[in-house]
Amino acid sequence: MNEFADLHDDLRAVARDLLGTTSDTVATTSDAAEGPTDWARMADAGWLGLEVPEALDGSGATFAETAVVAEEMGRAVTTSSYLGTAGLGVAALKSVVGSEARDSLLRGAAAGSVRLAVALAPSGDDPLADPPFRIESSGGSILLSGRAAFVVDATEADQLLLLAIDAAGDPALVNIDVGAVDSSAIDVGAVEVIDQPVLDATRRFGVVVADRVPISEQSVWNFDSDAPGIAAQRLADRGAVAVACDSFGLGAAMIDATVVYVAARHQFDRPIGSFQAVKHACADMAVQQAIGRELLSAAVEAVATNEPDAWVAVARAKSFVCAAAVDIVGSAMQLHGGIGYTWESGIHRHLKRAVLNRTLFGSPVAHRRRLFASIGTR
Amino acid sequence: MTADLETFRGEVREWCRTHVPPGWRAAQTAVPDDEFVSFQQAWFAELRGAGYAVPHWPAEWGGGMSTAEQVVLYQELAAHDAPRLVLAFVSIHHAASTLLHAGTPEQRDRHLPAILDGEIWCQGFSEPDAGSDLASLSTSARRTDDGFLVNGQKVWASGAAHSDWCLLLARTDPDAPKRYGISYFLLDMTTPGIDVRPIRQATGEWHFCEMFLDDVLIPESQLVGPVDSGWQVAQATLGAERGMTMLELAERLGNAGFGWLVEACSRPTHDGTRPIDDAVVQDRLAAFEIEVAGLRSLCRNHVDRVETGDDGPADASIVKLYYSELLQRMTDFGAQMVGLEGQTVLAKPISSGWESGAWVLDFVSSWEWTIPGGSSEIQRTIIGERGLGLPREPVPSP
Repeated sequence: MNEFADLHDDLRAVARDLLGTTSDTVATTSDAAEGPTDWARMADAGWLGLEVPEALDGSGATFAETAVVAEEMGRAVTTSSYLGTAGLGVAALKSVVGSEARDSLLRGAAAGSVRLAVALAPSGDDPLADPPFRIESSGGSILLSGRAAFVVDATEADQLLLLAIDAAGDPALVNIDVGAVDSSAIDVGAVEVIDQPVLDATRRFGVVVADRVPISEQSVWNFDSDAPGIAAQRLADRGAVAVACDSFGLGAAMIDATVVYVAARHQFDRPIGSFQAVKHACADMAVQQAIGRELLSAAVEAVATNEPDAWVAVARAKSFVCAAAVDIVGSAMQLHGGIGYTWESGIHRHLKRAVLNRTLFGSPVAHRRRLFASIGTR
Repeated sequence: MTADLETFRGEVREWCRTHVPPGWRAAQTAVPDDEFVSFQQAWFAELRGAGYAVPHWPAEWGGGMSTAEQVVLYQELAAHDAPRLVLAFVSIHHAASTLLHAGTPEQRDRHLPAILDGEIWCQGFSEPDAGSDLASLSTSARRTDDGFLVNGQKVWASGAAHSDWCLLLARTDPDAPKRYGISYFLLDMTTPGIDVRPIRQATGEWHFCEMFLDDVLIPESQLVGPVDSGWQVAQATLGAERGMTMLELAERLGNAGFGWLVEACSRPTHDGTRPIDDAVVQDRLAAFEIEVAGLRSLCRNHVDRVETGDDGPADASIVKLYYSELLQRMTDFGAQMVGLEGQTVLAKPISSGWESGAWVLDFVSSWEWTIPGGSSEIQRTIIGERGLGLPREPVPSP
């Protein structure tokens, strides 16, 4: 286990408090609650710099700690740029060859002054696809072209990290300073970020488009690895596990809320939770969560410790936990009866987010397919 | 017979080709309430003009189609993507069934023609503390010299904000056992003392309503069936009705919903591959096709058995349970097939079927079938107890 394991309970307790899910009922439900959670408070809590090295004002912690926060954000149905910045961005920066510019972004991320978004695939639901961008040299300049849809937190980001194939055919990350793009320069060719609204109002996506946009040589950051393709894949795996943590938190919140509700709600002069049909449905939710917890812990550990075949645990956890969460939230809506179907109950937010999570960073089918390919060969 | 049916099918097809408003889906997506209501009223009038609005009613009241003809009608309406009668749903089904089975001649004469002219009904059954346990409802109707004075709160009254009349259950004898002190009323929604407040649903729409009843006076003439026997009236009229509504919905699922699911699976994804070329997807689609075929057949036979009085005590529950859970599984599968792109469909046409092709929203709204009208848990209990004769769940009081 890692040296931070003891801190997980504290981290979790602080997160519940800060994210406002200290009660066992469904998370805050008003429309106002769909607004973003205060970024500065997250930076102050140290969540954004968890994995940033101590020398760069971070905590030097691991993905295991990031995962705790990710799960709590699922539990609270939090709207934030955490997934883009801490879930993916910091790790992406740490995976490239060090530089002043890179270190400055890591520092900024930890302090909350820089928000990141990482585009790894042409669509956010297929992280195993080829890189979405390409770099070519033309008449002495370097041009970036490509398109990535459903890029997590892209519309909020100050800095983009775009996975691109370079002239040699190797993947690298291209850093785009969104804040530096002069809006008047758009017609001469700039990277465009287009808002992509989704039904899950707690999440924010953008389409990132580049059509032969001139970039500087300094903005192309190579992976600090002999196998850059694998380094890119590891980032996608992190994203998948972070989303699985979120789904696990959604499920946990729904189990807690449902148990409280069915114990209190009376029909036929009994708590409805005393009916076997209701009790068994709750038990099924808990059993799914118990299996999910094991698979998820293994995946978090594998990613945190950089195990060579971490992807096996990732495929198991992502496919199982994210599918189970949809079933668990669906059962919660069912067992809350008419109340569960109201906007006011807030359960719809968990359901829409669970459905989105199921596909984000790879559907259960895609991850199972990937896993199956290894079954005969291991 | 078969030749006649094919002739009829040809007529319906021709009618659909010339009458289904082109582009109605886009025009009826994210529209204000009044536009939805006027669109539904106009569409109802079109169907009525063709004799297609109430095919399941007796001939003397403007219906009279055989089950086989109704199936053909519903198939063609679905296949031509005709709007559904969403607003008149309770009027042509629950209200009509109540009036036909238990209404007085005066009540029928007053309301059945009016429904054909666009009178809209809602149902005031559930209460905050009487959902699955509907018989424990506590809205009171106290007899006075002028009629019944009603006080209480109803909830989940679908479409109440647009309704002219309401099918109301209220307690007339607070001392009788739960199921024996309830009466069934026709409530004029313009009566003073009614406050209707819409409730926002998981889909973002405002379809359900709360109804607050404060000293609402209902004349004696608006009582349906004998006083204190409202529970029995409701059971008799609405159980049979379930099959009729399901006939249309099952054909919708088979002729529109399933087709859209196949279409969604046939669309190339961003990398050029199509889900339908995958063996797992093919298997799931074939499995759904089988389930839909079984459901459609069951619905037809159920309607025939209701007509001949041969229906079993749990048949309606079987149909409702299977439809609602199949709808949920199919829309869930659709949501998986369309992936993140499905999340960008932020609204669906109000007058469409329960499966509209907006798969994520369709999936969310499928709980509107598994929860109301007797939840899936209640339906399973009914199937076990009334259908199979198993011992009853322990219930402390009668």
